Amino acid sequence: MTTTTAPAPSEHDTTELAATARRLSILNGLFELRAFIALAVLIVVFSLLSDSFLTVTNVITMTKHVAINAVIALGMLLVILKGGIDLSVGSIVGLSGVVAGELLQGMSIGVLDVVAYPPVWAVIVLCIAVGMLVGLVNGILVTRFRVAPFIATLGMLYVARGLALLISNGATYPNLGGSPALGNTGFGFLGSGRPLGLPTSIWLMAILAAAVALLLVKSPFGRWLYATGGNERAADLSGVPVNRVKTIVYVVSGACAAIAGLIIASELTSAAPQAGETYELNAIAAVVIGGAALSGGRGTVRGTLVGAFVIGFLADGLVIVGVSTFWQILIKGAVIVLAVMLDQGQQRFQRRQGAAASAAAAVTKPASH
Amino acid sequence: MTAVLRAREVTKVYGGTHALKGVDFDVAAGRVTALFGENGAGKSTLMKILAGIERPTTGQVELDGEVTQPRSARDAADHGISIIHQELSLCPNLSVQDNLFLAREIRGRTGAVDRAAQRAATTAVMRRLEEPIDPDRLVADLRLGQQQIVEIARALLQNARVLIMDEPTSALTAPEVAVLFRLIRELTAAGVAVVYISHHLDEALEIADDVVVLRDGALVATAKARDVELSWIVSHMVGRDPDALFPDREPEIGEPVLALDGLVVADPQNPHRLAVDQLSLTLHEGEILGIYGLMGSGRTELLEAVAGRITPVAGTIELGGEPLGTTGIRDRIARGIALVPEDRQRDGLVQTMSVGQNISLAGLARFVRGLFVNRDTERAAVSKIISDVTVKTSGAAAAIGSLSGGNQQKVVIGKALLTQPRVLLLDEPSRGVDVGAKADIFALVAAQARRGLSVIFTTSEAEEALHIPDRLLVLARGRLVGEFRRGQITREDLMSLSDGGTAVPTEARERAR
Amino acid sequence: MRNLLPRRALAIAVPLLSATLFMAACGGSDDDSPSGGAATSEAGGLVAIITPSADNPFFKAEADAAKAKAESLGYETSVASHDDDPNKQSELIDAAISRKAKAIILDNAGADASIGPVRKAKDAGIPVFLIDREINATGIANAQIVSNNAQGAQLAAQSFVEAMSSKGNYVEFVGKESDTNAGVRSKGFTDVISQYPDLKQVAKESANWDQQEAFTKMETILQKNRDIQGVIAGNDTMALGVVAALKAAGLNGKVVVVGFDGSPDAIAAIKAGDMHATALQPAVLGAETAVEQADKFIKTGSTGAEEKQSIDCELVTEENADEFGVFGRK
Repeated sequence: MTTTTAPAPSEHDTTELAATARRLSILNGLFELRAFIALAVLIVVFSLLSDSFLTVTNVITMTKHVAINAVIALGMLLVILKGGIDLSVGSIVGLSGVVAGELLQGMSIGVLDVVAYPPVWAVIVLCIAVGMLVGLVNGILVTRFRVAPFIATLGMLYVARGLALLISNGATYPNLGGSPALGNTGFGFLGSGRPLGLPTSIWLMAILAAAVALLLVKSPFGRWLYATGGNERAADLSGVPVNRVKTIVYVVSGACAAIAGLIIASELTSAAPQAGETYELNAIAAVVIGGAALSGGRGTVRGTLVGAFVIGFLADGLVIVGVSTFWQILIKGAVIVLAVMLDQGQQRFQRRQGAAASAAAAVTKPASH
Repeated sequence: MTAVLRAREVTKVYGGTHALKGVDFDVAAGRVTALFGENGAGKSTLMKILAGIERPTTGQVELDGEVTQPRSARDAADHGISIIHQELSLCPNLSVQDNLFLAREIRGRTGAVDRAAQRAATTAVMRRLEEPIDPDRLVADLRLGQQQIVEIARALLQNARVLIMDEPTSALTAPEVAVLFRLIRELTAAGVAVVYISHHLDEALEIADDVVVLRDGALVATAKARDVELSWIVSHMVGRDPDALFPDREPEIGEPVLALDGLVVADPQNPHRLAVDQLSLTLHEGEILGIYGLMGSGRTELLEAVAGRITPVAGTIELGGEPLGTTGIRDRIARGIALVPEDRQRDGLVQTMSVGQNISLAGLARFVRGLFVNRDTERAAVSKIISDVTVKTSGAAAAIGSLSGGNQQKVVIGKALLTQPRVLLLDEPSRGVDVGAKADIFALVAAQARRGLSVIFTTSEAEEALHIPDRLLVLARGRLVGEFRRGQITREDLMSLSDGGTAVPTEARERAR
Repeated sequence: MRNLLPRRALAIAVPLLSATLFMAACGGSDDDSPSGGAATSEAGGLVAIITPSADNPFFKAEADAAKAKAESLGYETSVASHDDDPNKQSELIDAAISRKAKAIILDNAGADASIGPVRKAKDAGIPVFLIDREINATGIANAQIVSNNAQGAQLAAQSFVEAMSSKGNYVEFVGKESDTNAGVRSKGFTDVISQYPDLKQVAKESANWDQQEAFTKMETILQKNRDIQGVIAGNDTMALGVVAALKAAGLNGKVVVVGFDGSPDAIAAIKAGDMHATALQPAVLGAETAVEQADKFIKTGSTGAEEKQSIDCELVTEENADEFGVFGRK
């Protein structure tokens, strides 16, 4: 019969582990900034290649282009934080524009044989409502009918696109300017207005970003959302109304996509039913480049905005420099993959850092529990 | 005596948890080595390292005196090391023979799977186990005990030189255990080394040749089985006099708070089976009620039904005299029922959130002012909880993964306490928690009970069941089979009762009444 | 300018009011089902009309024209689109064969990929009349009636050069680069413009036939260089995106914009002075010709024309814009 005790670790182990932990924490700090670094690298490279890249007007123009994707991506961020995905946003962009077109050109009210011309504010509200409605269907499919988010929103991608085609009969609505006689002018403001010198879409992006950030950081809903995405079962057992949270994120995502659709229709003063095709992929890319985890629970508004800027500045920069279209597509893909690789690398480093730090802690005070 | 397989100075760190701290462990050919230790002592981790499922953080594994760290379970099997897992690792959607030959299918000349040969081999191994299961039946259709036998059969088929059995009998009946023990003897006679882990200490001691005790990830004692008794094993497992771990308390029991009457709960995984069958109980103010039951006894489903996660099929639940109806978790939390789930990783914690955010998650409603969470009051309440439940952490902003298992458990308990409950439900609160933290947790629970909190906790550890609760209920197969005041029952009676009527059912039930 | 059809109003009212999206989807999908069943005459039989997509006004005009013509000649019709997917096209042709169609009017899904399916129809005894796009084989289809993209591009480029007074900086927008017509049109533009050394191409971008993409890229190009006097685009959709970008930059009316296709929106832009010209593809004429020849073939066993026929494009400018309707003369 023998009794032994655990061997005491040597001095050497302790210092080595502590040093490893320190080194890893510095590396991790660099990775935290990776999206900003990517953006800075893009700006420096394009500024060197073209004089017209880093000018005030061009930065404003590029930001205006970024705004459309950023607005969609903010909604997508919420869905991805929940651990879902929303593939229907591109189609909602098209549907929203088409509904705006239909309403601005006059809506005949069934039995009354009257053509109504709703004012622009009502058009905007109705379009956003349509986007929210599609989002609500997504949410109900995911929560009540337990359809996987990928499949549910893929289905709604087709349904919303089909609706846009049905409503428009496949045609584009031209001249969304409205007419003073009908009192429905002013739609162009969303796309070409410049309150306080900046395009309306940039203001919209800024306001939405601030609202979403506030929602995530300050409100109980934000906490519920992070918890649901991080561990749905734990959130449920903590009394978080998981299904309500899940439904709301799809509704918000639909609203954001509808707003983007309105901006596009306003910029072009025309609405095409095929507008917004594949925009869902750009939005997902922005969220992922911004450091969000597709598995849910991790991601920030700041990161998503930077992600949208990386994609937008990259696209416009390549046009300014005059790179051929095929290369533009290839480079965009490479940047997305690179960003996600960095993200995986960061998570690995964080895990190792955590292990090393706690190993060091345990070795110095073995009685920790 | 020659060691076939040895672990040398093996350590393993998971996140912030030290599962193993420099363990040396020898496995001898032709002998049964029984490994003892409480939950969280590191037994399963050590076995996973030997079987190639996990890699040690430091240290090494030697096979026949040569350093060979198996790279995978497959690699370990190729070296003659097989493991029967504590958690069943079968694919329920496949047939028995498909599971037995998964990734090592018998192939005919064409390269196609030779199902006839597989079926013959399956029938043969099942005959050895005296369990005539059709090779083509789906594993999902087998009862738990039969699934465990399939798991054993799979290990046997691999003709292992080292066979690791991690809780192989948790779902077996007594006759099935007898068959298994005879088989183990046949194997050791043929020179196979067997490592045996079981919660049933007496059962393990009966089959063992060598005894090894782990505590808090370190090897604390080794002996020949014939030289030692149960009490020796228990005192080394716990590391101190068991009575010192569980201080006496003078409960002040008040009025009934929670009453269950005729509760019937279906098994969420298998709706045809009843997890809880016609169960009635009453919990009083300030009382600590223990429910002793093994895995699958229905203890988790019982607590989840009270917490509002599962809707019972029949029966009533009353809180303070008012029926709860079929309201959900959120409402029950608001009324003062809080659950600390059994599996804290899966059900208790959000790994992507900080310690503080986890603690405030269930009670967030208390801090909402207008549209937003008032972070000052939240921060104050969270730090009070952190000091109340004695979480060892660098602060509320620390990552959950940086805490040890015991401290993570304290966070989950803290989360429940922050909701200011009247009834606290703890499902196996000591699972995967080291001894010190375990004492902290029970001291904490006792302190809360003195302030009038009513507590139900479940456990599958006899020591806890015997010493902690003011009143103990024994649960087997969804039914209450015994009720005792503290000190009214011995460990042996408890063990045989909880087998749910396989060993001495009628007698035990009568004694219970 | 647009007709307000009651059905469209219904289609929008349904999702808005009742929220039953699927009902709306069912309620409006009468395009795919055979129509005119009651009107079947003794000449009768089915004409299958297959075009690339329903969400493009050009293909829609083509399909509508063929359908109207065939029904006026007493045939039943079925209209379907293959979305430029050769596999789906093959399935649609199989369906036409099994329904024993009298003729197939096809705007095909690829010059090589479509040879097999067309031959399959021919082997089944069903004549195929190709419109808009050719296939790389002869002797299988009964007719291949296409608009002359090269001629149209040269026509548009000529008008562009004249409006530019043969000098200045210009930008070219190319369609989806994998599309044959994008290359043919771009070459047609270049063949003409390269003869004028004072016309300088300052940027050439693909915008995938897409309006928003052309808008964004034009805005970006203007950031680099505002000294641009003309833009020539491979289709009208991209040209209209350019027009929107020019408006946003306050340059509308100061830059010569020329497109291709002759879409109603482009014609409206020409009338409004935002665009200079477009080359109109007579889709309606081509589709009608194909149906007429199909009818003649069914009745007489001969189309009375060569297999390969090309229809010239027409230039639409401010002077003659009023003469044109939807992809054809009024």
